[in-house]
Amino acid sequence: MTDKKANRLSWWMGGILMSLLLLLTISIFGADRPIGASTYVPYIGGIIFNLDPEHYTYLKSINNSGAWEGVMLLGVLFGGFITSVFITKTFRFSLVPSGWKQYKNNSILSRLLWSFFAGFIMIIGARLAGGCTSGHFLSGMSQLAMSAMVFGGVVMISLIITGKIFYNTKGT
Amino acid sequence: MNEIVFRTEGEGFLSRVYQMIQSVIDQGHGSVALVFLIGVIFGGIVQYTRVDKFEKIAGFAMLKDTIVPKMLFLAVGLSSIGIYFMVDAGVANLHIKPIILPGLIIGGLLFGVAMAILGKCPGTGPVSMAEGRIDVMIGAIGGLLGGLVFTVFYDDIFKPLQGESLGKTIFPNFFEGNEQLSVLIFGASLVLIAILIPKLEMEDAYEDRDDLR
Repeated sequence: MTDKKANRLSWWMGGILMSLLLLLTISIFGADRPIGASTYVPYIGGIIFNLDPEHYTYLKSINNSGAWEGVMLLGVLFGGFITSVFITKTFRFSLVPSGWKQYKNNSILSRLLWSFFAGFIMIIGARLAGGCTSGHFLSGMSQLAMSAMVFGGVVMISLIITGKIFYNTKGT
Repeated sequence: MNEIVFRTEGEGFLSRVYQMIQSVIDQGHGSVALVFLIGVIFGGIVQYTRVDKFEKIAGFAMLKDTIVPKMLFLAVGLSSIGIYFMVDAGVANLHIKPIILPGLIIGGLLFGVAMAILGKCPGTGPVSMAEGRIDVMIGAIGGLLGGLVFTVFYDDIFKPLQGESLGKTIFPNFFEGNEQLSVLIFGASLVLIAILIPKLEMEDAYEDRDDLR
């Protein structure tokens, strides 16, 4: 084929489709709740580590939303897998993203350790704020919630400062 | 107080997965099939637009790729007008999260650092795992442990750290009498911002190479 880029949707088509999905989900004909994607992590953690939900106030408080997002997560994994195999044909096992090699280093160990660390603080951060990119940014800002705008602003600043400090973006 | 308490009754992993599905059936936020389908479509859109890639999210942190903010601002702009239209028509309800300033600020700072390093967020991470990214699976293990720490120390550390709720204020509250206009202006501005952000793309040496397709 002559097109050298991997098969993919444009940003505006993606934005429109994501908006339609959110509108369907939040409507009373859909799920009558917004899309969220970070409560499932402590919920699934509770299942995997076999914690007693009766003992933990936090697990009790997320019992419903965690379960909802847990089922949605199964769909996300399935949808992502099917799309990567059959539509974009981008499925492959990999350890270090090419952008990391270009702007950070070639070390597998470095990428895996940093990934572990980032995953750890990401979930603590998301649960402290009560939401993530999906729950606050996508769903919260779409409802014009001030909480989402505070979160979105702080994340943007923190994200860009980290990007500047953490990667070698000069001279490449 | 913070010891890890395991479930003692004879209920294994499978029965708790069953409880998860039963909880979705009981809570009335869509059938299990619908919730699963929402996930499939979400995963499909994220994968098909490739916004789960490190080069897109960490690329944005480095200001070398703007596909994520363009798509996100467009989705939010369109959805905001759509949601308030549907609320007016009585076919949707608002679900606003409280303003807990210390939680939002400390949480947002941690989240931004993590997003720049991992190049994923909790919604795009599972898509990356599904396309075979082993580094993200390691990130997910970190995330599960983060969730465990949050759960175990919630009462003593994290809940006090979140602070008091300042209420569930929404942007139109500041424009009494012109609520609908404020929503329209907000939505239209975000759509405009999405269009006006210059389109930058970080090349992925693997996926954008000539012989892939």
